[in-house]
Amino acid sequence: MSTGFDAQNPPFDRLAQQEVEELRAATDIGYFRPGETIVARGRPSDFLHVVIKGAVEARDAEALQGVLGPRDSFDSRALVHGAAGEDFVAAEETLCFLIPRATVLALIARNAAFAAFFYADVSRKLEAFSEARKAEGGMESVLRARVRDAMHGRAVFIDGAVTIEQAGQAMRDGNTNAAFVRDGERTGVVTGMNLAKAVVLQRLPLDTPVREVTHFDIVAVDEDDFLFEALLSMTRHGKRRLAVRSGGVFAGFLEDIDLLGRFAGNSQLIPGRIDRARDVEELAVAAREIQDQVERLHRQGMKVEVIAEITSDLNRRLFVRLFELVAPPSIREQGCLILMGSEGRGEQTVRTDQDNGLLLAGLVPEADLATFREAFSGALDGFGFPPCPGNVMVRNPLWSQPAEGMVRQLRAWVMERTPDAAMNIAIFLDGVALTGRTALLAETKAALFEMMRGEAVLLGRFAHLIESFATPSIGVLGTLMASVGVTDDAIDIKKAGIFPIVHGVRTMALEKGITETSTAERMAALVRAGSFDGEFGRDIISAHRVFMGYRLASQLDAVRRGSVEGESLLRPSRMTAVDRDILRDSLRVVRQFRDVIATRFRTAAF
Amino acid sequence: MIDAVKRLFWRASLADHGYLFLFDPPPAGEVVSLDCETTGLDTTTDEILAIAAVPVVDGRIQTSRRFEAFVKPDRAPTADSIKVHRLRARDLEAARPMRDVLPELLRFIGSRPLLGYYIDFDVRMLDRYAKELLQVHLPNRRIEVSSLYYDRKYGKAPPGTTIDLRFASMLEDLGIPQLEQHIAVNDAVMAAMAWLQLTDLVERGQRLKRERRRDATAAPLGA
Repeated sequence: MSTGFDAQNPPFDRLAQQEVEELRAATDIGYFRPGETIVARGRPSDFLHVVIKGAVEARDAEALQGVLGPRDSFDSRALVHGAAGEDFVAAEETLCFLIPRATVLALIARNAAFAAFFYADVSRKLEAFSEARKAEGGMESVLRARVRDAMHGRAVFIDGAVTIEQAGQAMRDGNTNAAFVRDGERTGVVTGMNLAKAVVLQRLPLDTPVREVTHFDIVAVDEDDFLFEALLSMTRHGKRRLAVRSGGVFAGFLEDIDLLGRFAGNSQLIPGRIDRARDVEELAVAAREIQDQVERLHRQGMKVEVIAEITSDLNRRLFVRLFELVAPPSIREQGCLILMGSEGRGEQTVRTDQDNGLLLAGLVPEADLATFREAFSGALDGFGFPPCPGNVMVRNPLWSQPAEGMVRQLRAWVMERTPDAAMNIAIFLDGVALTGRTALLAETKAALFEMMRGEAVLLGRFAHLIESFATPSIGVLGTLMASVGVTDDAIDIKKAGIFPIVHGVRTMALEKGITETSTAERMAALVRAGSFDGEFGRDIISAHRVFMGYRLASQLDAVRRGSVEGESLLRPSRMTAVDRDILRDSLRVVRQFRDVIATRFRTAAF
Repeated sequence: MIDAVKRLFWRASLADHGYLFLFDPPPAGEVVSLDCETTGLDTTTDEILAIAAVPVVDGRIQTSRRFEAFVKPDRAPTADSIKVHRLRARDLEAARPMRDVLPELLRFIGSRPLLGYYIDFDVRMLDRYAKELLQVHLPNRRIEVSSLYYDRKYGKAPPGTTIDLRFASMLEDLGIPQLEQHIAVNDAVMAAMAWLQLTDLVERGQRLKRERRRDATAAPLGA
């Protein structure tokens, strides 16, 4: 028996057959005439509605937030949390399945995967669903695997005072090529290669105490950490072997070879390639690998923040190495290489524009500077980094100049009060110092914070950039028109979602003199400072993550198509009901946030 | 008028007074959507194989409170009827004789109006059994979905308009998703969906658009 209830439609596809039958048996069908309010905002609901035919508008006061169509369901908040987030009004003659609240609650209590759909928190919902999706692709094990599942060997401990000969024997007996060395309070690691180099290359006597050749800068992970965290750590530190702790004591090692079989790609090997590159050509090979790596990790279902972190780490290494290779001594002596914009925030995923600059502590020969500017930006062009459309590049003298000049420039921008000037300030504010005289950037930023302190009008101007783009609702006419092929319902995820969040948080950070650059860290600092309550902060960051995730997917798609056109466009009509639901929640969070920023900085006054 | 007289006559001649409830005033706002699957279209010889009755109360199709039964036919179903409703002999193992099913069905329906697509056929089929087994007729008011549809769609149509009252065409026109047809519950649910929408159109004074573009090909009438 079926009354047309589609059990393949998420989230019902997470129910067992018997649970589906139970649900079907309890379900009625309701008819709603156009204009009829099905669930009122702030009210509980006795049913979970699943649209059979027709269209239902989700309205927030007067604003239309979205249009739900067949297979969409509403409203989990009214059902589980007792108060609908929006008014749900039939837009056409509409039929809905009516699943009684008690039935849904019973299934939620029994079935965790089904329950995930009803989480109030966007990010938990997203995670639960993306995990379930990955599970179908068979990649779940990689994400869930922990260090203890992949580590090998028992730990061999050697006293720091024993000779390297004894150490070598102990390692051979333990059948391992790495051992922990205890030396008083410290613990270090020595490898077979360290011993061999000591004897063969440095010609140290065999009775040299092993502590002399031991590394005491251990990079360690816990055996309960996820494997991808270990991968991240290897990538960041350029290590191919990590020490593993168990209950606070060292228990063994995790080597890159233990990960190779599990993770596609080789991000832990790329740092070595970057560091070993002897010229720009060799570096270009490593640069290509970074790009490939992103795609592999994404396919494997890696979380978007982790991908962003790995990419960011690798790119930074790449820039540092390039700087070392092409900067003349005068610039290496005086300069501070900075990354700005999304690179600075560590939020780029697929290779984005070159957003970089150079601050100088003093004057350097003009010829050196000219050579460096061209060599650095030119090499990045060659690596496939698209030039920055706003020309925020070392190549542009505006962005590679003495720190004093930059402070003057910033002051001029502050006074200029144009959107372009505000954007330049924003880009600079996201800057991080990569190498060289890193204190220069901190000093320059401190000067900027000083300029803005207490300047409500200036901050308002700066905040006003958030009004550059509207945050649309899903649907309105769009989804309907798109569904009949009349128009495109594409949403520019960068303009509608990412920019308002990034810029709003950035404005708050500027006001409070917060030096962190990533949006998540800035938000954490703002929550600590009491500017936002924790829950709101989490919602904002979750929404940001949702957008980043969608953006990454569409960017990868654009890379595959070989065209950057439309790389941040999202088409709700082509998404699944659950994805649309998550997107709708996230866009609502952005609109709330925009209101907060608008009120706080009175952006409407401009 | 004639109906009223018939009702009076039936009521008076009711053999089993246990079925007097059929003549109670119907509860307001309630109807029952009814559908029977049969071995064929001849109401005098064909047999009922499955019955579904779904209450519709205040705009709600109460599928959760539906009545559903398979009926054991006296003769084995023919190959032709199996093709239509796909109930095979072995599907009917759970079936019960009509003499057990019918009293339950009548109690379920009560005095509520009966709704359906070509409902006269279903009621005539049931009446044959009812007369034979219980010496009663179903006196319930009948609501024909296709007439409502005709009224909203072709009520003021110029002469010569091609009239298409097929169940599938009507559902498509109303935008109602087509469940698998010739399953009694599905047919009853779809008829109820169509009825709710058509009733609403009547209340709001709205009519269905006729497509002019379509060629006037002769569309077959009937079930």
